[in-house]
Amino acid sequence: MHEHLPSDSDERRILQRLTRRGFMGVTAAGTLGALWGREPGLLRAAQPARIEATADAVIVLWMAGGMAQTETFDPKRYTPFAPGVHISQVLSTFPTIDTAVDHIKFTEGLGQIGSVMDRGAVIRSFMAADLGFILHSRHQYHWHTGYVPPQPMAMPHIGAVVSRTLGPKNPDVPAFISIGQTIEGPGEIATLKAFHTAGFLGADHGPFLIVDPQDAASAVRPPENLGERRFTSRRQLFETLLAHEPVYQYGGDFQREALVRSLESADRLLRSPSARAFDLSLEPAASFDRYNTGRFGQGCLLARRLVEAGARYVEVTSEYIPFLYWDTHEHGHERAAAMKKIIDAPVAQLVRDLDERGLLDRTLVVLASEFGRDAVTEGKVGKEVRDQAINIPDVMAEPRHYGMHRHFTAAGSLLMFGGGVKKGFVYGRTADERPCTTIENPMPVEDLHATIYHALGIAPDTAYVVEKRPVYVTKDGRGVPVKALFARG
Amino acid sequence: MRLRRSLWAWPAVVAAGVWTAAVLARVQAIEPETGQVSSLIDYDRQVRPIIEARCLECHSQEARKGGLSLASYGDALDGGRSGAAIRPGSAAGSLLVHRILGDVEPQMPKDERPLSEAEVALIRRWIDEGARATPTSPPAPPPWEAPLALEAPAVPDVQWAGWTRPLDRLLATYLSDHQIAQPALVDDRVFARRVHLDVWGLLPDRASLEAFLRDPAPDKRERLVARLLADDEKYAEGWISFWNDLLRNEDGVTYFSEDASRTSITPWLLSALQSNLPYDRFVTTLLNPTLPDDPAGFLTGVNWRGETSAAVTPWMQASQNTAQVFLGVNMKCNACHDSFVNRWKLKDAYGLAAFFSPEPRLQLFRCDVARNEYAEPWFLYPELHRTPPSPSLADRRATAAAIFTDPRNGRMPRTLVNRIWGRLLGRGIVGNPDEMDGVPWSPAVLDWLASDFAGHGYDLKRLIGTIVTSRAYQMPAVPRAGEVPARDYVFKGPEVRRLTAEQFADAVGAITGEWTVAPVRGGTAPPAPARGTAPRTDSDPVTVGVYAREWRAGSTHLTRALGRPIRDQVISSRPTQATTLQALEFVNGQILVGWLQRGARRLIGELPPEPVSRFNAAVGGRTVTPRSFDVDISAASWLWLLVTDTGSNAPERVLPVWANAELVGPDGVTPLASLAPVDRSGLRPSDGADSGKLTVKNPSRLVFDISGRGFTRFRGTADLENPRSEVGATLNPALRFFIFDVEPTGERLIPPAQGTPLPPPPAMTTTSAVVEHLFWSALNRPPGPEERRLAEAAASDPARPGQPAPDGVADLLWAVLMKPEFQLIY
Repeated sequence: MHEHLPSDSDERRILQRLTRRGFMGVTAAGTLGALWGREPGLLRAAQPARIEATADAVIVLWMAGGMAQTETFDPKRYTPFAPGVHISQVLSTFPTIDTAVDHIKFTEGLGQIGSVMDRGAVIRSFMAADLGFILHSRHQYHWHTGYVPPQPMAMPHIGAVVSRTLGPKNPDVPAFISIGQTIEGPGEIATLKAFHTAGFLGADHGPFLIVDPQDAASAVRPPENLGERRFTSRRQLFETLLAHEPVYQYGGDFQREALVRSLESADRLLRSPSARAFDLSLEPAASFDRYNTGRFGQGCLLARRLVEAGARYVEVTSEYIPFLYWDTHEHGHERAAAMKKIIDAPVAQLVRDLDERGLLDRTLVVLASEFGRDAVTEGKVGKEVRDQAINIPDVMAEPRHYGMHRHFTAAGSLLMFGGGVKKGFVYGRTADERPCTTIENPMPVEDLHATIYHALGIAPDTAYVVEKRPVYVTKDGRGVPVKALFARG
Repeated sequence: MRLRRSLWAWPAVVAAGVWTAAVLARVQAIEPETGQVSSLIDYDRQVRPIIEARCLECHSQEARKGGLSLASYGDALDGGRSGAAIRPGSAAGSLLVHRILGDVEPQMPKDERPLSEAEVALIRRWIDEGARATPTSPPAPPPWEAPLALEAPAVPDVQWAGWTRPLDRLLATYLSDHQIAQPALVDDRVFARRVHLDVWGLLPDRASLEAFLRDPAPDKRERLVARLLADDEKYAEGWISFWNDLLRNEDGVTYFSEDASRTSITPWLLSALQSNLPYDRFVTTLLNPTLPDDPAGFLTGVNWRGETSAAVTPWMQASQNTAQVFLGVNMKCNACHDSFVNRWKLKDAYGLAAFFSPEPRLQLFRCDVARNEYAEPWFLYPELHRTPPSPSLADRRATAAAIFTDPRNGRMPRTLVNRIWGRLLGRGIVGNPDEMDGVPWSPAVLDWLASDFAGHGYDLKRLIGTIVTSRAYQMPAVPRAGEVPARDYVFKGPEVRRLTAEQFADAVGAITGEWTVAPVRGGTAPPAPARGTAPRTDSDPVTVGVYAREWRAGSTHLTRALGRPIRDQVISSRPTQATTLQALEFVNGQILVGWLQRGARRLIGELPPEPVSRFNAAVGGRTVTPRSFDVDISAASWLWLLVTDTGSNAPERVLPVWANAELVGPDGVTPLASLAPVDRSGLRPSDGADSGKLTVKNPSRLVFDISGRGFTRFRGTADLENPRSEVGATLNPALRFFIFDVEPTGERLIPPAQGTPLPPPPAMTTTSAVVEHLFWSALNRPPGPEERRLAEAAASDPARPGQPAPDGVADLLWAVLMKPEFQLIY
């Protein structure tokens, strides 16, 4: 008579005591790539002109769960909470504040990020795709791969595309590192596996996953219950056994060599001086404290350390867990305020630190979310999709009803710093009255990707040959970089 | 420049080889300085520059006008949508020549200056000379057209001693035609290891392996294969992952589609394999599920919530997947637009989809834009098409099943036998199992196998038996070939393969006795309490897990690193590359480290049984039901109260409580809250109003010292404090409450049921026994003298010579599992 029949993964947690730590995202392969045991070939870009890169590294700060734009970087008229007020009166639940740039205003609680806006741009016209009845992970998949699932081939994460196209910056630091998201779990968490993958690009370009930044050092340190001494002796035992094994009469050597070499390169990564970048305990306490608003803040610090050490693509997420963090279905105001406390200091500190170290010029920092939010409209304006706000009446009665509780795909805000992006710049505009949709320079996912790729010197119609056909890094090769965002034009 | 790109992608070894060959050819073909060319045209030096300059604008791999790429030699021979562009040996019969001459419109290069007479003459000569890859290559074979019907080939006479069966005779002819002498066959040990892995997915155990090695009977290999195939259970569990990959069957992962939710086909698939359901009926049931237990989930596909593009509706997925899986036809491009790389059109994809769609008439969408064009059920090969007797879905599906399994449809058995061959020998007879229009290295071997399969009741086990007892399978392994163009590939033996994720994990289970634990589907329900009596004292079934083979459990970081896919797409062959990230999982992943620690302790009898809780209850779901307990604690000195989260949406917002918790003893009833736990960190501040409540964190572990108090019973209720209004979708809590009177190990709170997929090895008390066991069970051979010395030194407890130490055994186990000799199948 179970009321609740746990799913497999629930039970495995009890039965096997599965940990959240592990390195691999998801191995997948386009049938052909897998068959031949090789990576898909790169096609020349149709556009022969080489793009001069303005960035060598990317940090994506992922606001998972749908960050409300009017509560953050796109302030609208402030309406304080009062019982009896109709929710359609509420455009923003925070007063507007100034930033370091006269013409850029944010909402209260983002003062520190505001103070570094003279080093970056805000984009207020991100347009998520219109996919009907909304599922976060589906939009996240779209944001991260440029393609809407389901797909007949395993599409690679943008980090994997960057890894495959540009390779590692420092061979001892994985080219694609993802920080903060668990992909083990029941329900919708399991679906995040679908895009935490290099897909048809091959497992070498998959994400190096770090769920807990404070645990990152253990990823590059011998396992706790093994210890340094055993770790070394175990390795020696392997080598001596290998040296003394009988000679095999069958098969060639290269598969054998490949296995041995892969263990060596894992070892090298662990022993490399760059591995120290993973260890947050090596950060001076004062600096650690400036970032430390919890896991996300620590993730930002880790991202800075990794980029300093030569990482190519790092993503730090506030973590997607249904109904948590930015996924505000109720208590919207209170929870947005809490989220801003989590992101404000570390994001600003990351920008300042990169700048002070001379890294910001060649590192593109992008803060983004899968879509925006609104108090009234679910999805797109003028199209009914299933409402997912939780028992939110049209007239507010209690603080639980105050906030942006619905998913909104007609506008969303992004920040970009460094990597050649203009400073103190605003791109795109939304209406000042509800429904506050994008009215200027809409930026769909493919153009956003094209813009990120452009900074890295990758043409939007760069393609990989999979199953004999080209698969482009932006959908159908049609992403258009927003050159207006770049200082060089 | 552009052409060279395609070479970059080849594995270094292959690319280097090709390059060397090209250089050699050039050296031989060109007379130095004089500019005089030897009699044969050099494709690389003479033809390619013309193509580069005049054709690649439209016929690059990317542009592929008319489906034709001329970017590489192989591409040129592959042809385009109009068929072959080049007929080696016949310039006059080659479309390419007619196009550049302009006698077939439009003349090429289109709208540009035609090729010069000298250029045309050179290309014609090259084709007439056989369109050779290099002047030293043999002439290219004629273009391959995959037939539809099976043509059972004539079986040649025996030419090699022992190669007497039809398949062996065909192969002997093939090998001698390719100047390959009669090969020796692998020894018994290698053979036994191969077939155990290939039929059961398990390594041979020492006793049966030694018996096999000793057996003098000449037909012992055949008898071994027959014995393995006869074990329905092990065979089914060994092969199910292959089918799960192909049929996209992944339990427990749904993408929340509101109307086409993913449905498991596991029970059907397992029983179909166990009963060796004939393959024609297997396909029929997948295409036309009619009974409640039939595998409807296959046609439903993998669908995400929300709107989807026209190309990936469930029926379009069914169209693509049935064509790919059962016929080796790639219809991914033409689900969206007419294919640029093969002959399939948009209407072909819709025509097949219309057999499976709710409506019998489908409007065509080109790149998601509606067209004024409609498709009705129409099969890819008109000669096999049948019109459904009625437009009902039942009739359309039944008709599709009849067409796919039509005896005239040679592609169905041909595709299947090629898949099985590829699984068993590392590479298919047609190299890419999803593209059965490709060139088989031996059409005769392919069609003989397919005809034999179809002619013997589509018996999958028999097919596997035929292949693994063939001489081809018993040849020494060769290195994996990488990408060799089909026309250049020569079969020289099975490829060295790698253990799959499931084989690796099952091997760890078999070697150590410590298997993966998987949840029991539909586990036994607890006995219902009698009405009107005291609160229930039962708890949820203590056994919710069993030791099982890896496929039964969900994927993990470890198994995904080893190539287990998440099955969103059809997976015909898994990646087998060794990557750094994978090696990190081996070297430093917690799953393997923990597993081997436990395994080592189990192996030497030092893994104590896990304590069983006195109470264990799942609390959660959309409507939370409190669970009462009343347990006997008269023998207990300590109590451990545990709350674990098993997947709540927001664990930290879930508020567990031990309500009305009281201890009954000689002095009456004592509220639990009046006792102080050893450590208060698991407590959550309470409003203090109700002293009977013990408010705790999620997760939490509270320990109470009750020694000397004489308590006999502990009773109360496991519950949540959250308002029921917020429990529903927001939190969707999932917790388990446990009461232990023995210290829980923390590794597993619920011990799995007794019983393992294979009998566990006996506990070993000497290091030499451990070493002997590890080598035999993992590598299927005894250790060499030096290996034995090294291994015993590593596994021994320094304080107790000759006795194994758990850490040492774990490290030895790791070192053995990392050996290529273990991970590769030679």
